[in-house]
Amino acid sequence: MMLARVADSLYWIGRYVERAEHMCRLSDVMLSATLDRSEAASQVARIALSAVGDPDVAKAKTPYDAALALALDKDDDGSIISSISRARENARQVRDQITTETWERLNLIYLRMTDPDAGKSFAEGSQLFLHDTIADLHLFKGAGDATMSHGEGWSFLLLGVYLERAQLIGSLLEVVFGEGRRRRPVGDHFALTSVLRMGCALEPYLRVYTAEMQPRYILQFLLLDEDFPRSIRFCTQEIESHLSAIIRHAGMAGSVGPDRLAGRLRARLQYADLDEIEVQGASAFLKNVLDECAAIHRSLYDAFVAYSLEDRLPA
Amino acid sequence: MSVKRDDPALETPSPAAVAPATPYDEMLTPDGRVRPHYAALDARLSTLSPDELAERQRTQERFFLLQGITFTVYGAESSTERIIPTDILPRIIAAAEWARIEAGLTQRLRALNMFLADIYSEQQILMDGVVPRELVLNAPSYRREMQNLYVPHKAYANVCGSDLIRQENGEFAVLEDNLRVPSGVSYMLANREASRRVFPGTFRASGVRSIDRYPDLLLTTLKSMAADWRPNPQVVVLTPGVYNSAYYEHAYLARLMGVPLVEGRDLVVHDNMVYMRTTTGLRRIDVIYRRVDDDFIDPLTFRRDSSLGAAGLFNAYRAGNVVICNAPGTGVADDKAVYAYVPEIIKYYLGEDAILPNIETYLCREKSQLSHVLANLDKLVVKAVGASGGYGMLVGPHSTKAQQAEFAEALRADPENYIAQPTIQLSTAPCLIDHAVEARHVDLRPFILSGEKIVVTPGALTRVALKKGSLVVNSSQGGGSKDTWVLSDGKGDRT
Repeated sequence: MMLARVADSLYWIGRYVERAEHMCRLSDVMLSATLDRSEAASQVARIALSAVGDPDVAKAKTPYDAALALALDKDDDGSIISSISRARENARQVRDQITTETWERLNLIYLRMTDPDAGKSFAEGSQLFLHDTIADLHLFKGAGDATMSHGEGWSFLLLGVYLERAQLIGSLLEVVFGEGRRRRPVGDHFALTSVLRMGCALEPYLRVYTAEMQPRYILQFLLLDEDFPRSIRFCTQEIESHLSAIIRHAGMAGSVGPDRLAGRLRARLQYADLDEIEVQGASAFLKNVLDECAAIHRSLYDAFVAYSLEDRLPA
Repeated sequence: MSVKRDDPALETPSPAAVAPATPYDEMLTPDGRVRPHYAALDARLSTLSPDELAERQRTQERFFLLQGITFTVYGAESSTERIIPTDILPRIIAAAEWARIEAGLTQRLRALNMFLADIYSEQQILMDGVVPRELVLNAPSYRREMQNLYVPHKAYANVCGSDLIRQENGEFAVLEDNLRVPSGVSYMLANREASRRVFPGTFRASGVRSIDRYPDLLLTTLKSMAADWRPNPQVVVLTPGVYNSAYYEHAYLARLMGVPLVEGRDLVVHDNMVYMRTTTGLRRIDVIYRRVDDDFIDPLTFRRDSSLGAAGLFNAYRAGNVVICNAPGTGVADDKAVYAYVPEIIKYYLGEDAILPNIETYLCREKSQLSHVLANLDKLVVKAVGASGGYGMLVGPHSTKAQQAEFAEALRADPENYIAQPTIQLSTAPCLIDHAVEARHVDLRPFILSGEKIVVTPGALTRVALKKGSLVVNSSQGGGSKDTWVLSDGKGDRT
């Protein structure tokens, strides 16, 4: 049992923290790639910017400015500082629900990003700045994992993390493997390793597929791998298991909606066949996965947060 | 390093003002020797260089910042969070002195709860003419709605934070009672957590009494207010929300008590029962420790434009299905005009003399007292009855002629709204100011809980006027805080 508002806040902490981490990684890969002046490098920059949802790919010509804005522009809703501020604001609203150890980690990141000297630190070493932020976000999750009760609240937080992650990786894959919109297929070795880096997947990929960079393997790995924590299939496994934990805590019997959607999506990815996906077209498949994720989000709200009062009043 | 004495004569603005008495020094006797209960701290201080002290001060400030013990300053373009100024040097109170404070506070709160029970039922004290009837019934904080409403144990003020000051003669006196929604207890606890880190050795050697049980005692007090037939009462803390300046405290207390922190929007009243919206539906609430003012708890009963409480809450309370702590309407007993009658109130109900004296108070509503106040505006402190937080206040000796004229006009226009008290030189305690130890004026806010029984926590929030010579300790006016060590008398009385 927990307050509906609290569950909502914990869920959004998870989403914002995951979003911030993903944006840091995209920026980092973009800055690192564009140290080279190759055509592949500018392709990587365009992929990164499209994946963060910035339609203005002209910014790929000035990757440093784009990364700076993505990191520290307070007025941009999609920037890292905005995500961190919102995660922390949500954490403040449920400060009684998260342990001091966990709160401190997040507050520390917030204080560093909002420090008047943050711009200077970014200028002095932008990749170091991003790297440290990612490391601190890992510490936040680790502190939560090690000190918070793994009950209902924790499940809501992780639901936020995995739903967000599934959607972010899905958008990245759409940019890279989606057809149409006069996009050239990504085939360059450098560009492909960069894509894996954006999903924090390079080293785990090498272990499975060796250094052979095949677009098809990359799609398979990020979409369908069973064990890699950033594959969409892995995310849906986690979403399903945290939803059933929440339903168990709530003492709700049977199917309440979101768990049915989550189970169906997990099964679709578990038994998916890459050849069929390629015949059907990766775009259509990915779009369908993203729609299902959005539906799980809505259904979660209907079941636990914004339910109708009339159904729940004591007789 | 040496401790500088504050010379009050330097602070006197006009020669017309009577030279104020020398303030009591918490650490040093008038002939400059260190008082025995400060000896351990003094010894420790003499071994620390100014840089080491400053380093400890920074560590403490960082601790507060990391914990999020901050308040938000709203600016034109952006808002920033600041910590409440905190001082690392503890204020120390000897065991015998504390025993007297504890007895005095217990007595006072017992009498004030009896007073509230009386004026909200038979009104015997008004009929006997001990307190003027119109003074009570016309006070804005008097709540007609509370008349004849059952309050368990007659405990109206479950959490009380009284402001004490130490007068020039060394005696503690009550400056103000806070019976509405007193705050500051989280600073008491946070300052303690910090000072244990800053002076661990001295802390251990001094035998400081523990205040760690406050959240537990608060929960026990709140549970004791629930109806007997509800065996496992659900307690919640009601906060106005994250934008309230005391939000940190609300979340802190909820976390340490292990109860939900709710906002008005989480509450639903149905059939005179109060529920909160949880992930699994509605759950009944028995006791609400509300940190929302009377005016805002129920738009149906009090202010209509409020969304901080829940519609129908007060009726649920009247019906006995939920308990609101503190009870609405307790403010009438800490009204600045009623304050003047507290010694008589204690005598009336308990047949005892007040253990802790009041500060002499002139009620401007009385003609003779008004003329005395007008003639002595340069010596007195004048306070508006309805104001708090150090606003609406004239500190005579530190005021200009123009300010005095302004207050004189206000006093004549609305005498009922003002009281006056002599300017008391609050006692001074050593504080770390810019790498040096200097004396600053302090007050003392202990916290008293009352449910089935009354408990005084052996500790307090010591508020500091950080500006040299200033007597205003409110955090909204440049005040800070520090830890308060209450020493045990060595007989194992560690509660």
